Amino acid sequence: MAKTHWAIPITFVFILMGVLFSLQFQAQNQISSELSMQRTENLIAMVRDLSEKRQKLAVEIVDLNGKLRAQTQSDQSERELYENLVQELVKIQTVTGDIALQGSGLEILIDRQMPVLYVDIIHIINELWAAGAEAIAINDMRITQNISVFYTETNQRMFITVDNKSLEYPIIIKAIGDNNNLEKGLTIPGGIMDNLALYRAYPILTKADDLTIPAKSRKSMFFFLNEYKPEEKPAATEKPAQQT
Amino acid sequence: MWLLPVFGLIIGVIIGSTITFQIPLIYVKYMSVAVLASLDSVFGGIRSVLEDHFDGAVLLTGFFTNALLAALLAYLGDRLGVDLYYAAVFAFGVRIFQNLAAIRHKLILQYRNRKLRSLR
Repeated sequence: MAKTHWAIPITFVFILMGVLFSLQFQAQNQISSELSMQRTENLIAMVRDLSEKRQKLAVEIVDLNGKLRAQTQSDQSERELYENLVQELVKIQTVTGDIALQGSGLEILIDRQMPVLYVDIIHIINELWAAGAEAIAINDMRITQNISVFYTETNQRMFITVDNKSLEYPIIIKAIGDNNNLEKGLTIPGGIMDNLALYRAYPILTKADDLTIPAKSRKSMFFFLNEYKPEEKPAATEKPAQQT
Repeated sequence: MWLLPVFGLIIGVIIGSTITFQIPLIYVKYMSVAVLASLDSVFGGIRSVLEDHFDGAVLLTGFFTNALLAALLAYLGDRLGVDLYYAAVFAFGVRIFQNLAAIRHKLILQYRNRKLRSLR
């Protein structure tokens, strides 16, 4: 009985002490992670360590900025190169007739009644090229360097052909270029229009501000062509002039 | 019989770790002195049990008053610019070691007596 006499108060005190211990333990743990409760020496060490890290990171930022600038510059030059290539491609496609074109120019209408031969069409086209035409189409067939204008005959009648396709009347020749120059090139005294007038053929010339010339329907294919690269001759070694 | 207090200590630790209450960091220093004082009281209690002059009222009052007074003294010392904190730590530290030494002596004596009794 005497033993139980002390056991209860001691147990009670032990419970309280356990609570106090764990609370104190938690508080001390928090202190060790709290910056304001750190010792001055530790704080100085931390500040030194962090400023060193900061310096390293600043150097890294400068380095990365330099890399970024270099990358941006190279990207810009690549973009310029790409734009130049695209412009070049458009020019080449204009010449080869791979893209449709639009612009001011001249429209020539030749009707069924007009006695016109294929050579007259060739003359008109040559005259238009000479007058500065940038693109020409006959009945929406693009005229490029490998398009032939000729004729074909059937039992009943004769057809003018462009690229082996017979032309239907009315023949409409569209040419993009300076329409005044184009018109003058054709109507020059003694020119093609005067020649045609001798045969009572009077093609109708119309200046247009918005002509559309379609792309070539058949793509150019090259099977035998290869780029010619002349062989580089080795530079002649100069012998020192012999002194006499 | 000592199992009950040990069990109580474990329960106290569990309760303390489940409580979400956080002691404000500026009072942690005073709390540590209070813990030291309560530890001293507990050892004193154990010693008195072993020396057969245990008094529950003395233990309980000692436990609370010592803890509160120690914390209060440390706080006052901080206010007055005197480091009474160290005085409290020293005083309770010395008492704890004295109590521990007395407990050890008493336990050794009990052990020897028991051994002698078994030999007779």
